Amino acid sequence: MINESTIKEIISSQGEDEPEGEDMSRRSFLWMGAGAIGAVYIGAIGYPVYRYLATPAERAAQAAAVTQTTLDGADKLPVNTALMFKFGTKPAMLIRHADGTFSAFNAVCTHLGCTVAYDTAAAKITCACHGGEYDPTSGSNLAGPPPKPLTRFNVEVQDGRVTVARA
Amino acid sequence: MNYPFWDVPVLSGGGVIGLIAVYHLLIALFAVGGGLYLPIAERKAIREGREDWLRVLRRHAKFFLVLTAAFGTTSGVGIWFAIGLANPEATSTLIHNFVFGWAIEYVFFIVELTMAAAYYYTWDKIDRGLHLKIGYIYAASSFLTLVIINGILTFMLTPGETWLSVAGSGNEASVFWYAFFNPTYFPSLVIRTLIAWSLAGIWALVTASRIDGFAYPGLKKQIISWSAKWLIPAFVLVPFCFLWYLAMVPESNRQLLDLGISTIGQGTFTQVTRSALITVMTSATIIALVYFVAVRNSRSFNLGWAISILLLALAATGATEQAREMLRKPYVIGDFMYSNGVRKYEVAKFNSEGYLAHSIWKSKDTSSMTDVDRGELMFRGQCGACHTQTGYRGMSVLLKDRDERSIENIVGMLHAYNDDSPYRKYMPPLVGKDDEMKALVAYLKTLPAKPAK
Amino acid sequence: MDASLSQEPNRGRRTLAAAIYGWVDERLDLTGLIAHAREKAVPEHRHSFWYYWGGISLFFFVVQVLSGILLLVYYRPGPEAYESVRQITYDIQFGWLIRSAHSWSANLMVLAVFVHMFSVFFMRAYRKPREFGWWTGLILLGLTLVFGFSGYLLPMDDLAYFATKVGLEIPAAIPLVGTLVTEIVRGGPEITDVTIQRFFALHVVILPFLYLPFLAIHVWLVQKHGNALPPSEEAKPEPERRSIRFFPDFFAKDMGMWLLSLNILAILASLFPWQLGPQADELAAAPQGIHPEWYFMSQFQILKVFGRWFPGAVGEFLGIGLFTAGLIIWAVIPFIDSRSASGSRARTAFYIGLAALLGLIAITIWGYWEL
Repeated sequence: MINESTIKEIISSQGEDEPEGEDMSRRSFLWMGAGAIGAVYIGAIGYPVYRYLATPAERAAQAAAVTQTTLDGADKLPVNTALMFKFGTKPAMLIRHADGTFSAFNAVCTHLGCTVAYDTAAAKITCACHGGEYDPTSGSNLAGPPPKPLTRFNVEVQDGRVTVARA
Repeated sequence: MNYPFWDVPVLSGGGVIGLIAVYHLLIALFAVGGGLYLPIAERKAIREGREDWLRVLRRHAKFFLVLTAAFGTTSGVGIWFAIGLANPEATSTLIHNFVFGWAIEYVFFIVELTMAAAYYYTWDKIDRGLHLKIGYIYAASSFLTLVIINGILTFMLTPGETWLSVAGSGNEASVFWYAFFNPTYFPSLVIRTLIAWSLAGIWALVTASRIDGFAYPGLKKQIISWSAKWLIPAFVLVPFCFLWYLAMVPESNRQLLDLGISTIGQGTFTQVTRSALITVMTSATIIALVYFVAVRNSRSFNLGWAISILLLALAATGATEQAREMLRKPYVIGDFMYSNGVRKYEVAKFNSEGYLAHSIWKSKDTSSMTDVDRGELMFRGQCGACHTQTGYRGMSVLLKDRDERSIENIVGMLHAYNDDSPYRKYMPPLVGKDDEMKALVAYLKTLPAKPAK
Repeated sequence: MDASLSQEPNRGRRTLAAAIYGWVDERLDLTGLIAHAREKAVPEHRHSFWYYWGGISLFFFVVQVLSGILLLVYYRPGPEAYESVRQITYDIQFGWLIRSAHSWSANLMVLAVFVHMFSVFFMRAYRKPREFGWWTGLILLGLTLVFGFSGYLLPMDDLAYFATKVGLEIPAAIPLVGTLVTEIVRGGPEITDVTIQRFFALHVVILPFLYLPFLAIHVWLVQKHGNALPPSEEAKPEPERRSIRFFPDFFAKDMGMWLLSLNILAILASLFPWQLGPQADELAAAPQGIHPEWYFMSQFQILKVFGRWFPGAVGEFLGIGLFTAGLIIWAVIPFIDSRSASGSRARTAFYIGLAALLGLIAITIWGYWEL
């Protein structure tokens, strides 16, 4: 049935040098396929690497999402003093006024982001950087460059614990 | 509980099943896809008068016959031996429901084997038209074995509401077809068919790689290009079918997939997700290699490359099957039987009457045994399906850094099986009376690896 | 603007791409490079498989560089070393994966380099004019091993600590200067944070600085001389030898090998993540059967048995002497087997290679056997 010469004939008619008749649809299919494979690799390698590098940023965002924090024993804070603490990732301050009530603020100056301090003598919140002043009860900007009041937090005192929460 | 688990040191019974099953699947799906490949390729060769193709196909048919009839069938029987030993309760449930299904499959299987042999041995001996018909009968019967077994395999993940409503009543077989055509039946059938189709192309590359590309460049190039096209349907459609399949999987199981992403939060993906990712990556590599190394470089495409592609297919199949098995946790039969063979409705009974009291397999009277010995019986009955002492998921490693108190805690947690327990997602509850739990704790305390002196 | 750009967007895109290509080509002569790559031929024969191992080693080196840079982002040498690796492994998302990839890839790279070296040896590819390829390769192998050794200590868990401790016994056994050199390397008589700082500098600055130029020379030499024919091919008359084009045929397969290597690495790194042991404690007893990494096992074992047979400095001297002698023979093999024809010298070289390969494997197995 099959002899050597027919095989040779078939082979010679099907040489490697057949014309590369790739039409556009085939070409674009191949490109799409190559793109899909490339996307798989980029995804499989890129996603872990992205998450790896983004971890600190994600953690910070999580911490910033903190809505309340509890300060143990802060009810013993002497009057007319302030306690600095971290609310999420940002500095915050708890002030005990002369009448024994509490106020809490985000301690970042609204001007250029310095950390503010409580001035016991003047009973004011001041910023050493550019001399901004804030009201210790409401947080409103009294003097200097600050454009906005300090962000105020709600304070609740219960069983010796002071809970500061986002307003 | 009627039987203990098969105690396989190091590997665990599940590991034995896994090894046999992946090996079997690679051949069995090839038997289905290759069944179509052979007659279709033969028809093309006859029509276009390509005698050289027919020679290659004949060699492929021989290879096919040896591989599927010898290695495929024996490993298939091996699976049944292994699952009967490794998870007797689940196997028993399957047999009670599907004995009729297996009978049908067996008929197709006999036809398939006979036709495979007839196809090869009648090559060039009978009329070509008739020979082709034998090929098509083979293809049909081998596809039908997949149609049947797929019903049984998918049943284990999603038995379906109808079956679950009669489960345990003794009338389960009356809803045979509901259990058979369960929610994941069709997506799974389509995926398996596509995979079978592409495996036919991959195995054909193995045969094609043996052609001397420098002596017959045209023949080799044509066969490789034509075989490579068999991978295209799977490449294009499987991602969509996979989404369809996932949509049919119960929500609770789907959660297992992103457990690692959302709850553990460290990027420590669970095994399921890692396996799924490996499947995606190896599949992409298969396509890239088939195109760039086989099709574009057909002349020097050799057996080594063909085997590499085959091994990648093995990794992809293995990872997929592992992901599918893990997806079923904590059940072996969805919402009915936990992976350690305890039926969901038996939990309360075992908790009040005792687990060992219902374990027929332990011959001795356990009341006089020490806690550690009774604990070992508990371990063999309830943990052995997935854990070994020192090997695969070995307790000596898992408990290594735990002190005694924390072993008590974890056993207590698994026994209480509260709704919010994270273990609920992949481990069954531990059942038994309080003294049995104590015995188990006493046994587990003996297992942690002691630090080297 | 070009009118065709708006009418035929496809064509416009192509002319833009062509313009960019043309701009780069004018300056870098890409066309000439590709034409050269197309002209280059790579022999195709039964042993062609071994041609890929240099490329595989290079691939793992690239993985080492990239994953190493990622680890640098969080790693802190010095007293906090262990804590920072603990964070990478358990705390930073996917840190375990990056670290596993780095560790697995290191081992696979050493393995690939060894396979590459022995395949080059048995193909007699060290002969004229490729002697410098052989020597730069040996230097790269040495640097690779030091990379592995210095990197192994950096997590500072107990395994790393004790493995480095016993590993430093090898240089300490060098006669006369051994103790001094070892103390300089270690930064004192014991392994402390000072040692970590030194090993870190070695691992990420000094070694890459030494490695890259040799790598460049090595790759340039391969490009200059092309792939060597194994003796079995040389014996064939010219017309019977087969070859494929370097570009795109060999290149496609080479990239295929890279993809395969990447897959193997991904499977190993994700399914068998590298573990982190408890923090090193110099007061704690060494764990049973402590030993250096597998690629130092043969040296370690030789020192051990010579120390047993010839107690004291004599054993150390003999052990180190044996290794040095072997290394010298290995380096001068292009002179021993210098003729192109296969003769008695080629046979001698073949037996030397076989003895080295089997010897290394046997002694390594012996070492693990005795643990």
